[in-house]
Amino acid sequence: MASEVNTDFLQDKKLDSIAADILRPVGITQGFVVWMGFLGISLMGCIYAYSIQWDKGLIVTGLRDYTSWGMYIANFVFFVATSLVGMLISSILGLIGFKWVKPIARIAEIIAVAFAAVAGLVIIIDMGHPERLGNVFLYGRIQSPIVWDVTVVITYLTISILLYFLPLIPDLAISKGRMNHTPKWLQNLYEVMSVKWQHTPEQYRLLMKAIRILLILIIPTAFAIHTVTSWLFAVTLRPGWDSTIFGPYFLTGAFVAGSAAVVIVMYFVRSNYKLDKYLTNHHFDMMGKLLVLVSIVYLYFNINEYLVPAYKMKTAEAIHLHDLFVGEYAVMFWSVQLLGLVLPIILLLFSFFRKPFSMLIISIVVLVAAWFKRFLIVVPTQDHPFLPKQYVPQAWMVYQPTVIETAITVGTLLLVLIIITILVKFFPVIPIWEMAEEQHELDHKSQK
Amino acid sequence: MKRYFILLIIVRFSLQLSAQEWVVAPADAALKSPFAFTDSTRKAGEAIYVANCKSCHGDPGKNNAIQLVPIPPDAASVKMQANTDGAMHYKLIQGRGPMPSFKNTLSSTDLWRVISFMRGYNPKYVQEVALPTIAGAAAQNVSIKLDWNKASGQVEASLTSLKGQVSQPVAGAEVKLFAKRYFGNLPVDEARKSDAAGKVAFNFPKDLPGDSIGNVQLIVKLTDEVAYGEASAEATLAVGVPTNRPALTAPRAMWGVLAKAPIWLIFAYLLAVLTAWGFIAYVISQIKAIYRAGSKEQL
Ligand code: HEC
Repeated sequence: MASEVNTDFLQDKKLDSIAADILRPVGITQGFVVWMGFLGISLMGCIYAYSIQWDKGLIVTGLRDYTSWGMYIANFVFFVATSLVGMLISSILGLIGFKWVKPIARIAEIIAVAFAAVAGLVIIIDMGHPERLGNVFLYGRIQSPIVWDVTVVITYLTISILLYFLPLIPDLAISKGRMNHTPKWLQNLYEVMSVKWQHTPEQYRLLMKAIRILLILIIPTAFAIHTVTSWLFAVTLRPGWDSTIFGPYFLTGAFVAGSAAVVIVMYFVRSNYKLDKYLTNHHFDMMGKLLVLVSIVYLYFNINEYLVPAYKMKTAEAIHLHDLFVGEYAVMFWSVQLLGLVLPIILLLFSFFRKPFSMLIISIVVLVAAWFKRFLIVVPTQDHPFLPKQYVPQAWMVYQPTVIETAITVGTLLLVLIIITILVKFFPVIPIWEMAEEQHELDHKSQK
Repeated sequence: MKRYFILLIIVRFSLQLSAQEWVVAPADAALKSPFAFTDSTRKAGEAIYVANCKSCHGDPGKNNAIQLVPIPPDAASVKMQANTDGAMHYKLIQGRGPMPSFKNTLSSTDLWRVISFMRGYNPKYVQEVALPTIAGAAAQNVSIKLDWNKASGQVEASLTSLKGQVSQPVAGAEVKLFAKRYFGNLPVDEARKSDAAGKVAFNFPKDLPGDSIGNVQLIVKLTDEVAYGEASAEATLAVGVPTNRPALTAPRAMWGVLAKAPIWLIFAYLLAVLTAWGFIAYVISQIKAIYRAGSKEQL
């Protein structure tokens, strides 16, 4: 992002057509009502499941003394992971100067906000009764990675919200006059949110400076959030968690999940909003290449993470690895590794598979695998405590997620979808002013 | 030959079956409580039951025992009540599998109190009290004194009983010595019998850690409660090795409470948080500046 903005594009007629394209789907449409109705009603069912947990406590889940971190925490790690893509696309790629990320950056930021916000909620769900969150602040120890994690999740969420909001301000101002097809309250909301934006050079200067600070600030914060999340596991001595590469392992895995999520949202935005002009095949091709790159890096970390302990086969580690490779979790483990990592890498190496639809399918598989990958990281380790499990009820021996637990987890996913839908539907998903500016510059150059 | 094998198999299986039975020797099964079960013993027993047994055996009569393997029988169940008082007492002292041994945790009197509580759930139960032994009648009010004989390195106990107004030595009574540790009592030396003068000398190890001045809390107990009643004494004697280790929780450390967090960690955490939130605050102030710039423009 250039820090000097040439505001000539505001006079360019192209701005009108770009704004018209991007603002056309904004507002309440029939499709939106049906989709939100579906999400809302499904969410009610999940909230009912939560009310049972509220009433009876965590006993309604499969969590017991041995496996006390189950589906919820796996889901939490998955959410945090997916949200990191905001940092990857807008910051790392954007600051390096890749122009193609411009129309995608806002989608990535929406994913960051939605997943990070609900990740915090998942933790509260896992605590049992929500008021226990207060104990983290009352009795939390600064020595505990859990306190660090709470700190960075809140910080990352705040920065992500700002990073979504700031580049939106000029768009809100541009949109104000062009929103006659939308409800009045939305127009008023735009008025308030556009903080008196007048497109003055001074305002652009302030805005670009603020965005630049955030883009840099979010890099260490995003590294911190997922590294600290990995430390929740890695600071213990337990087989499968006791690893020195857990930080980068989590981080690179996060980029895989996040990139896949971006592709999925991109696909639906493009096909539902007819935005092929802005989210082109080229963008999918580039996202495909990005996904291959991050997947290969992640594969490398996976090989490290499993091969090195498997070569040594320390007793406790061996039991754990046996469970994953040939034991109880073998089917899940190999499906995740082969279908969710190796196969996508092979396929995406061919430009044939980097077309929008096949990218969508591959990304869905990758994202689902990413969820189960987190389950494989969190759960099997707890099946084998260092002291033998004796004289406990059978139900404590193996962790079996319950229907209620699953429904609550599905509920958190629905909540993410709801947040994404609202942000995608009520605000321009593609930065209008950046598109217009870019177009103006291109036209200008070709005229010369 | 074939018959021999069949026999072997039968013997093998009957052994396995009997392994599930909890066999109590007739002598142990015949043991009886030295005192009669009354409302007050039941009440005392209930408190002991709630504190030590309920977590596994559940509420008597409610069949809500924890699902262990094997399942702890309900206190009111036929299986439990089929035990003689002596068998219960024996099983409590021995323990088996998940059922802990209460030998060192509860006194014999407390064990009888728990049994009396459990018997309260058996309407058909009729108690047989042990015949008072002559020694038991004779040796009421036993008191024990503990002393440290520095010259011999031994801990000495002297047993006396009050008979009328006269204090007499208790001879031939078995006593045990324990040192109090963080978790439970550590048996010291063997059980020994008092001599004619009512004296017992225990060999004491030279390397037992005591507190900063070498003090160790000692407990001495009479083992034969049936004969002598419940008698024990505690004394704090400087018999241990002075140990002056600061508690692990004393210095600032990763495992300490918040107030004991390492300085560098507090510093690093605050630095990171303040830096991040400082920038965030600055960015928010920029939004305000944008707003102000816009308002000016509008005028
Ligand atoms: C850690 C769990 C646990 C605790 C605590 C516990 N028990 Fe048990 N108890 C068991 C189990 C399990 C069995 C069955 C053992 C077997 O049959 O091998 C058992 C068996 C018994 C039996 C023998 C029943 C029979 O089969 O004849 C008695 C009597 C008994 N318990 C009494 C008590 C009393 C009294 C207490 C408290 C002072 C107590 N238990 C505390 C688990 C426990």
